[in-house]
Amino acid sequence: MNFETIYKTHWQKVFRLCMGYVNDADTAKDLAQETFIKVLKQLPKFRNESSIDTWIFRIASNTCLRQIQKDNKMPKSELPIELTDEISETTIEKDIQFLYKCISELQEVERIIISLELEDMSQKEIAEIVGLSEGNVRVKIYRIKEKLTQKFKKNGY
Amino acid sequence: MDTNIDFKKIWSEQKVETPKVEALYAKANKLKSRSFLELIVINITLLLTITFIGFIWYYYQPELVTTKIGIIMIMVATVTFLLPFNKQLSLLKKNKTEPNNKEYLQQLTKLKEVQVFQQTTMLNVFFILLSLGIGLYLFEFVSNMPMTWGIITCALTIAWFAINWFYLRPKTIKKQNTKLNKLLAEFEKLNNQMNE
Repeated sequence: MNFETIYKTHWQKVFRLCMGYVNDADTAKDLAQETFIKVLKQLPKFRNESSIDTWIFRIASNTCLRQIQKDNKMPKSELPIELTDEISETTIEKDIQFLYKCISELQEVERIIISLELEDMSQKEIAEIVGLSEGNVRVKIYRIKEKLTQKFKKNGY
Repeated sequence: MDTNIDFKKIWSEQKVETPKVEALYAKANKLKSRSFLELIVINITLLLTITFIGFIWYYYQPELVTTKIGIIMIMVATVTFLLPFNKQLSLLKKNKTEPNNKEYLQQLTKLKEVQVFQQTTMLNVFFILLSLGIGLYLFEFVSNMPMTWGIITCALTIAWFAINWFYLRPKTIKKQNTKLNKLLAEFEKLNNQMNE
């Protein structure tokens, strides 16, 4: 498969996954870029053992998980104020921002699971990406959605 | 669960411009040449050191067996120090297909544990071999020197070993392991999230 086609069809999805993980547009872009560099390198070795989506999301989520190696100095809750201002200046709508904020407050693995779910991946695929059983994924998605709904309702949604 | 909030709809509204693919190619090439360069530099250093020491052996024709043992020990120390760099690379490249998150975290944990081992045990081995090697190597030359110079050389060498062993070694180990242990704790936290 042609890399540029993959890049064009998957960039948004990968970016959103990274954004769900870090809730910072610049970092998410860097992570997405890192993901595609790996995709570019590993593409000749890709043998269709899994679907291309599953494969790319595995690379993307692993890249996110590795992120702590780089910036474990700055936990999410301690984001400097200027940065938060910067985010609100962009055109992202309030709902999206709030959704990302809620997701970023979840545990790391939960962030990946819910981002994949919202990206319309099946529970079987999510299980393959994360390495959990399908049943476990289903339970986790249910709990995460419950948490998100509570947060949205509290916020007057 | 009954929820009237359509998270998927909100989620998919997030759109960003896809950056040009050329920028990605440029960055990929840069990274590739950099890691290649690192590998080259490390291995050339190794080769040069060994050649240099071999040259001394050939040129000065040391008479005592201690000198020869010393030279071999210095070579072994150099290899011990540089080998892990090459091994680490192979450890990272071993995967054929991308592992799932759970396996990936386990691999990262293992890699960090290997690094902790390398940085403590291997660094100790390196320092011991190097010190012994240099000591043995110098023995022949020092014994041929006038007394005063011999003493000065010995004193300086011992001082240098002492600084390495009592100051630089523990400091390096501590610094690197603090960082690694912190990461290991983070990975363990993530691993636990998988089991909950």
